[in-house]
Amino acid sequence: MREALDPWQFVTAAYAIGAITTLAMVAGSWLSMRRAEKRRDKVREIQ
Amino acid sequence: MTGTGLRAKHQRLVLLGVALAVLLVAGLLAAWALRNQASYFYVPSEILAKPPEADRSVRLGGMVVRGSMKDAPDGVTVNFLVTDGKQQVPVRFAGIRPALFVEGSGVVAEGHWTDGLFTADNLLAKHDEKYTPREMQGMTTDQAHKAIAETK
Amino acid sequence: MHGFANPARFLRIATWATPLCLIAGLLIASAALVWGVGFGPADALQGDVVRIIYLHVPTAWLGMMGWSSIAIASFVEIVWRHPLAGIAARAAALPGAVFTALCLITGSIWGRPAWGTWWVWDGRLTSMLVLLFLYFGYMALAGATQHDEAPGQGQGRMAAIFGLIGAVNIPIIHYSVLWWNSLHQPPSLSVSGVVTGTGPMATSFVVPLLTSVLGFTLIYTGVVLARMRMILADSQAEARLRRKAMAAQARSGALAEGW
Repeated sequence: MREALDPWQFVTAAYAIGAITTLAMVAGSWLSMRRAEKRRDKVREIQ
Repeated sequence: MTGTGLRAKHQRLVLLGVALAVLLVAGLLAAWALRNQASYFYVPSEILAKPPEADRSVRLGGMVVRGSMKDAPDGVTVNFLVTDGKQQVPVRFAGIRPALFVEGSGVVAEGHWTDGLFTADNLLAKHDEKYTPREMQGMTTDQAHKAIAETK
Repeated sequence: MHGFANPARFLRIATWATPLCLIAGLLIASAALVWGVGFGPADALQGDVVRIIYLHVPTAWLGMMGWSSIAIASFVEIVWRHPLAGIAARAAALPGAVFTALCLITGSIWGRPAWGTWWVWDGRLTSMLVLLFLYFGYMALAGATQHDEAPGQGQGRMAAIFGLIGAVNIPIIHYSVLWWNSLHQPPSLSVSGVVTGTGPMATSFVVPLLTSVLGFTLIYTGVVLARMRMILADSQAEARLRRKAMAAQARSGALAEGW
């Protein structure tokens, strides 16, 4: 009695989680940076 | 002004509370891991030198001795020897074996030590730090490295 | 205001370095993953499941790298009161925590087929989980004190001190597999093993793995730069608003004595 698991299911799951999380982190950090810099520039314009 | 000031202070207090709780959990986890000098398992020479009580659940780790794996007639039970290079002890296990549990490879068995036999309730496969391409299966690591060097 | 001289120089570089790091990192990491997963060899013992390594090792490296950045930046913040250092430490926390979580998740997914278990409380896995909790604690502390005027002063220092103390865990993670019997295997990569090609890991695994580590490190650098720019822009905007409010209040004659 030996366990037989499909390795590709585990590989696919790991890469799906990894890709989604990494891309979400990159996009989130980039967008919040752009938002913060836009706000700063707007605040500077108003005298 | 005072309203937002109070709210900010309150928020800071809550966050500090969260930080402290998190630290406490981290500390407890560390203490949990550090029990038994933080070793995850006994090796055969340790279990022979200082046998644990029969009712205590312990882990035994080592290499499965080549040629020692014997299937019992019931088709579920397997007997094998585990070694740490100095001593070896017999192990019995009945159940589903992990795919990477093979002779000459590492194993961690969870179970009980009774009268010179380790009865395992669960088997975990432990692999070493070596990674060898499947095409070079059967070669030793040194042979594989030679083969790689020759094809360069 | 002397602190804003250096942030200006930082912004000049970060403006082009941020997108460069992110794009180059994403390209290199994707190429390494396609290479390793699609065309690399399967392991003789583990088979195809070994391919998780091209994600697991970079995330583990960056989880530890993240806290090392926090500790170094915190040290600079405490000793030299450099305003950018406090910002850098805060910026490194989220990517560090995300990569630590990814390391634990991918390790768990790898552990099920390779070891026969999703999780064990051995030294390596537990110390890595402690690192994740340390990140949570750091982020809570940094969040609680981020509105202080100057980094490196007053409550802002608490996060920095916490960052330094937490660094104790980094060598524990590294040596956990050597000090104690653990289910996790000892390190496969070493400088001498990689340079001579005689390490325990065959070269056909090492090359895509190191490429992946490079790609993810660039992504990490890009995310830290982006978050530094975000924190900097927020504090600049707040400083400007505060000055304006003070000026307006002074004009209306409502002078508070404390000023």
